[in-house]
Amino acid sequence: MIKKLFTVRKVLTLLLLLSAAFAGYGAYYKITYWGFDFRPNRTAKVWNIDARVSFVPTGEPVKVSLAVPSAKRNFRILNEDVRAQGYEVRRDVRNGRIEFTSGPQEKEQNIYYRLTVYDNEEKRGKLTDEKIPPLEKPVYDERQKQTAEEILAEAENFEGIWPQKIIGIFNKEPLSPAVNAFLPVKVNQKQRAEKMIELLALKSIPARLVHGVRLEEGKQAAEADLMLEAYDGRKWRLFDINTGKPGLPENFIIFQRGSASLLDVAGGRESKVRFSALRSVVSSFKLAGHRAQAEGYRRVFDYSIYGLPLLEQNALKWLTVFPLGILIVVLMRNVVGIKTMGTFTPMLIAMSLVKTGFWAGLAGFSVIIAVGLLLRALLSHLNLLLVPRISSVVIFVILIIQILTVAGYRTGWEFASSAVFFPIIITAWIIERASITWEEDGASNALSEIFYSMVTAAVTYLVISSEYIRHITFAFNEINLVILFAVMLLGTYTGYRLTELKRFSSLAKGR
Amino acid sequence: MFGWLKNYSLPSALKANGVLGMNARNYKIIAPQNDRRLYPLVDDKVKTKVLAGKAGINTPRLIGVIEYQHQVKDFPDVIKNAPQFVIKPAHGSGGKGVLVVNRWEEDRFFTASGKVLSFREVFGHISNTLSGLFSLGGQYDVALIEETVNFSDLFKNFSYQGVPDVRIIVYKGYPAMAMMRLATAESGGRANLHQGAVGVGLDIRSGKTLRAVMHNRPVSVHPDTGADLSKLVVPFWREHLLIGAKAYEMTGLGYLGADIVLDRDRGPMMLELNARPGLAIQIANGSGLATVVKKIEKTYPVGLTPEERVGYILNAVS
Repeated sequence: MIKKLFTVRKVLTLLLLLSAAFAGYGAYYKITYWGFDFRPNRTAKVWNIDARVSFVPTGEPVKVSLAVPSAKRNFRILNEDVRAQGYEVRRDVRNGRIEFTSGPQEKEQNIYYRLTVYDNEEKRGKLTDEKIPPLEKPVYDERQKQTAEEILAEAENFEGIWPQKIIGIFNKEPLSPAVNAFLPVKVNQKQRAEKMIELLALKSIPARLVHGVRLEEGKQAAEADLMLEAYDGRKWRLFDINTGKPGLPENFIIFQRGSASLLDVAGGRESKVRFSALRSVVSSFKLAGHRAQAEGYRRVFDYSIYGLPLLEQNALKWLTVFPLGILIVVLMRNVVGIKTMGTFTPMLIAMSLVKTGFWAGLAGFSVIIAVGLLLRALLSHLNLLLVPRISSVVIFVILIIQILTVAGYRTGWEFASSAVFFPIIITAWIIERASITWEEDGASNALSEIFYSMVTAAVTYLVISSEYIRHITFAFNEINLVILFAVMLLGTYTGYRLTELKRFSSLAKGR
Repeated sequence: MFGWLKNYSLPSALKANGVLGMNARNYKIIAPQNDRRLYPLVDDKVKTKVLAGKAGINTPRLIGVIEYQHQVKDFPDVIKNAPQFVIKPAHGSGGKGVLVVNRWEEDRFFTASGKVLSFREVFGHISNTLSGLFSLGGQYDVALIEETVNFSDLFKNFSYQGVPDVRIIVYKGYPAMAMMRLATAESGGRANLHQGAVGVGLDIRSGKTLRAVMHNRPVSVHPDTGADLSKLVVPFWREHLLIGAKAYEMTGLGYLGADIVLDRDRGPMMLELNARPGLAIQIANGSGLATVVKKIEKTYPVGLTPEERVGYILNAVS
């Protein structure tokens, strides 16, 4: 009974499933915490956001408090940097603020706060919900009240829910007379937004402002961007203040939301904060280390292959695709039933083909084999001993490669230049084996063996030449483990090989 | 467009006839039945010969063994008293590197395939053998020189040059399936089916032809000699089966192939044993090996002597 439970096949199946689950988790982990991607050459957008706080001191001790994005929220912060000479800097993590304090200052002050964040789109829009503040109805005089009601009545005709209706009417071109009358003469974004909030309060909808930065290429010293946040009875929802579009835009980073202010300056006047944003592009792999550090997973990263120097990484990139080539060889031999020369020879040829390009490589390899077979045929008349003979073939191959490479360089024939990429010893053994098969079993057997080896090499090439597949086997190298157990499981496959269906077809029932 | 598909059959159709596939042979039969440590007993023809002698199995008499390159020059001494002989690599397979010398004089060796070789050429052949040219995996080898088999004339018309031999598959000591392999012009006088030799399936109880195939297709006459293959009957059938049955005790291999030739004077003689015999025998027999293996496994008695097992086979009701 126990024996039945633990047959080799069952154990291997279990291990295969476990390794697949592990690979799945590994992929999840790497994508989530390291920012890996299934696509190769993926670049991540990294933004440098500069917040410049400026104010004119009043002569009293200075205390500046700036709302900053909190790391745990909408996106990931790679680095923070502060340039504030003469100030004591303190982070208030709980409230998501940074505070600068100093004694009295004289000249106009500039404090810089630089934030490096990466575009973490998948994590966006997950806002924590806070309690709703008590609704404060605006206090209006008769005329204002009338105008407000007029606007609300007009807004009824706009699309969407109430916040969208209000945003809609405030952005209509040209503005309706009522709205025009309602707004002050010289109005800025913030005042406009505050008016909208007032109107929403009349409709008993809690609303508030959200300060942040809309990441745009080369943004220079702009005021904080605004969004409107309204409570829909269950949760806070963000609305674009110009279009009424709901939800957090992809390129918007929130600095402050809720009742607190964006910037408080004690001991200064005419304070303002200006933002600039600069984008740089970094490959995901390069960034992965930074991300891991930011997430506190540095140690795991250091002990993965991605913590290695690039040179080693590139070498390993080739290694990690090998198991896939091996799997193909196993499939070709044990499931399809193709006979090849040497077990892994086709895979090694395929590796070379990736470097040379398929057709050029194939042509170059055929020339080497053909010339090699010719020379080997001459050699067989000499009745040399085995080791000296195969050694001679190796040297033949080296000579052919030299000649071809020079010829390729002089003539520009790509196939000839490809010669240098083929493994010498493997090529020599192919020639030796083919030559022996030729002598003993005839030319057709020898050529068919070469042909099937090349077919297997071509199939392997098709798989491993894909940039995608090479990237995935490297970035998610747990797949190697899955392939290992798949190969082991194939070691218990007892079904017919594809070629046997033809070979034994005369024995089929009903013939 | 899909005409080529007709050449393929469904796995279920093969399974229904008990056809044994390569993977199943390796995983279900060879792996559990043949202990890898026993392989050298059959891979090395010198060892096989010694064992066979102890087990009372006839093999061609050994003339000499050349183990090292420096012994090659002693070759003339070895064959001094042998008017004809065969040189074989001890680790060869599929007839590779076998040199049959029918007669020789001074510096001229007349081979069975009609070539005349000089001393130097024969030396070269032995030297090649020692350096592993014909052995599995190219490892260093030993050259075996043994007496030529005096082939029975009974099969003269059934083979083009070369030696017709009987291959018996033995499962757990029971002869399971048998065929005779006949060389053709195409196979170059060799008895390998994939090279174009004719395979004649033999009834395991009588040694009579079941059917014959060449290149996996049924044939009724030998392509070169025109002999009617259905007339083929192997004499001394019991003795043939006995060699196969004894090979089980001799080697301990649960699945083996015994290659047997018929000598005019000494009767059936074992040429070599194979721990991984191929599956082409199924095509020659027109039936699946898995069926027979299952039958032996399920119903045949265990603990019998080779003679009793052969008796059981000969008397079995099929």
